[in-house]
Amino acid sequence: MVFSSLVFLFLFLPIVLALYYLTPKRFRNVTLFAVDLVFYAWGEPVFVILMMVSIIINYIAGILLGKFRERKTLSKWILIADVAVNLGLLGSFKYAGFIGETLNVVLPFLNLPVIEVALPIGISFYTFQTMSYTIDVYRNTVKVQKNFIAFGTYVSLFPQLIAGPIVRYEDVASQMMDRHENLEQFTKGVKLFLVGLAKKILIANEMGCLWDTIRNSAGESGALGAWVGIIAYTFQIYFDFSGYSDMAIGLGRMFGFEFIKNFDYPYISKSITEFWRRWHISLGTWFREYVYIPLGGNRKGLGRQIINLGVVWFLTGLWHGASWNFILWGLYFGVILVFEKMFLLKVLKKAPAVVSHIYSLLLIVLGWVLFYFEDMGKLGEFAARLFGADGFAMSGSVAVTVVSYLPLLIAAAVASTPLAAFLYKKIKSKPVLYVIDNSACILSLLLCTSKLVSSAYNPFLYFKF
Amino acid sequence: MMMLLFVLPKETFSAQEKRELSSFPEINADTIMDARFQNELDTYLSDHIPARNFFVGTSACLELAEGRNGSKGIYLGSDGYLFPEPTKPTDNLKKNAGFIKEFADDSDIPVYMTVVPSSGFINGTKLPLLHEGYNDEELITDFRKSLGKNVIFTDVTDRLEEKANLSQLYYKTDHHWTSAGAYECYCELGNTMGYKPVPESSFNKEKVDGFYGTSYSKSALWFMQPDTIELWTNKEQPADSVSVEITDGKDKKSAKSYFFREQLSNDDKYPVFLDGNHSIERIINTNADGGNIIVLKDSYAHTFVPFLSQNYREIIMVDMRYYKKDISALAEKEGAEAILILYSLDNLSSDNNLAYLF
Repeated sequence: MVFSSLVFLFLFLPIVLALYYLTPKRFRNVTLFAVDLVFYAWGEPVFVILMMVSIIINYIAGILLGKFRERKTLSKWILIADVAVNLGLLGSFKYAGFIGETLNVVLPFLNLPVIEVALPIGISFYTFQTMSYTIDVYRNTVKVQKNFIAFGTYVSLFPQLIAGPIVRYEDVASQMMDRHENLEQFTKGVKLFLVGLAKKILIANEMGCLWDTIRNSAGESGALGAWVGIIAYTFQIYFDFSGYSDMAIGLGRMFGFEFIKNFDYPYISKSITEFWRRWHISLGTWFREYVYIPLGGNRKGLGRQIINLGVVWFLTGLWHGASWNFILWGLYFGVILVFEKMFLLKVLKKAPAVVSHIYSLLLIVLGWVLFYFEDMGKLGEFAARLFGADGFAMSGSVAVTVVSYLPLLIAAAVASTPLAAFLYKKIKSKPVLYVIDNSACILSLLLCTSKLVSSAYNPFLYFKF
Repeated sequence: MMMLLFVLPKETFSAQEKRELSSFPEINADTIMDARFQNELDTYLSDHIPARNFFVGTSACLELAEGRNGSKGIYLGSDGYLFPEPTKPTDNLKKNAGFIKEFADDSDIPVYMTVVPSSGFINGTKLPLLHEGYNDEELITDFRKSLGKNVIFTDVTDRLEEKANLSQLYYKTDHHWTSAGAYECYCELGNTMGYKPVPESSFNKEKVDGFYGTSYSKSALWFMQPDTIELWTNKEQPADSVSVEITDGKDKKSAKSYFFREQLSNDDKYPVFLDGNHSIERIINTNADGGNIIVLKDSYAHTFVPFLSQNYREIIMVDMRYYKKDISALAEKEGAEAILILYSLDNLSSDNNLAYLF
């Protein structure tokens, strides 16, 4: 189930909230776990079993790690086995087809049958969450969770189940057992949820339409149109993803959870290093905590640091999808980050802000080209178009579309900066804030519902002949 | 909202969208396991959400406010006009020209043709500032060129453009032309087909208010004003001289007027002209001088044929979407003296029933 659907907004959420708050405090995790499973099974009735298996294995691994903490070698092997199982599940469901295809190219005589497995939604997110738990139990930085329901609820928590943020167990361990749901937090949650919903429906979806139109117009868009197109995609992916994170964090608050921030205006960055501190923060943190630092980080000399960065960015790329373009995209950023660490950051610091902004945005936008096209042929074609392979000007009908989206593009650009938040914080008067908050919430819900209802409005004009 | 959803009675048909609304999805182990129930439930909800029209209208207004006039395929123009998007060049247009050419090359009787341009082209000055180009003239000229010399083509575009400032030739909320638009075409065709059109002053114009057309439904701009339909009757024509016989396969019905006033109480009022789409309609005017003619057409002809009937004793109006038999054989059987093909550009470029011409 996705948050931006009528079923979620007008059936699932009201029912779940009512059930949750009608449940006595000590049983609320049971209710939450049950609705989590319904939420997941809604779109993936079969794969809910896979998620249960993952929960059970990691729950047991956690218990064993706690029990054999004193026996270093044994606990190390338990952790290795657990990580292997987790990565094995992720590998076989997400990467089986990709690995098979790649092996067939490299070693054609193997002639492996390529298995097409449907990707269980959210598997990348919950696998990383369960691993954060077992690794931290092994490191003895968190306590073993003996309560199966509480552990299951953590892994399957529906607000962040299918699109993050990747909540590390450490960050919510105490909240799992003891939450103090209150009206203030709930209200903040509703507001953030509606902000996220508006980002997704009113901006991301529309930017997606523009990007689709331009992409499908083939050579008609010319270089100018292609740039507008990829910029639209740049907005689409940010508002889609950060909107989803906002909704997740907002929903979490409605149930008494506080999750960490996942996006922090990434497009205002003055370097790629800064961009990755502001983009998908929970993923970056995960890789830093569980890959980069364990590998030695920057403590073992520059050569080793570069290798470590290479590994992290290869994996970051791969995590985003089972296709070479994602790996390319990860390594692209890896290389840029190495350059920045070596000398570029110093240069950028001295340069005028405008230069470092343009530098960062240009590299980010070009990165999205790599990210979008899984087909290398189409990737090349589009990249060529960006640099004038199909001429520079747009055709009339593409131009009409682009101009009609101009107001929204500008709105998206403004909404990518902290301007609105800055102005909002300047307002000190409580009644004014009250009016602004409430009217913004009502407007967001009204417009988003309208868009959702309208997308299914489809006059079938049989007499049009 | 949720409560209302459960409590309110459910409509099964949407008059505005002219389609059946979805029914509550089937719920059983199978439909749940393959997520069919879950997916259909979302459709069901959006079909039956309370105040659905309000939401759809709000969304349309939002798009308008965002500067995306035309996002639903309909432009909001000045003077209360709604315009469907322009017709795009298609291969179908060429293909249809080929079919008609081949048909005319083999025909023993004259084949006349005219193509009705779109409202957006004729009322170009009323289009919003930002719109896609209407290339009707170019498309019609190209189409005409591929017809060959055996089709006697009449271009009505110039005349319609010329008269557009003087009277309303197209409905504001519908893609069809008005009686006034069809009348201009009737006059123009008289020059090529050799009949003398009845002067406008001889017609009595009966006005019917409250017509909301398809452009209105599609645009979801509920604040638009309705159109007025005009029913033109020749004052000198004896009432009993007209008869209309409708045949749909085995079903037959007949009437004594060009206008089917019972249709005026429906949501879609355009079928007041000749009762809308049917396989074959025979329109007889015992008061006319001319003989017998076949009209192959789309719905634009429904407004036009009552005028043509002033000059032809018998018109056999054929809708090729329903009539799939040999047209030459029909012409021979009826002893028709000519064939007129009348389509709107939009339908001509999308229709693929002309392959049945022979």
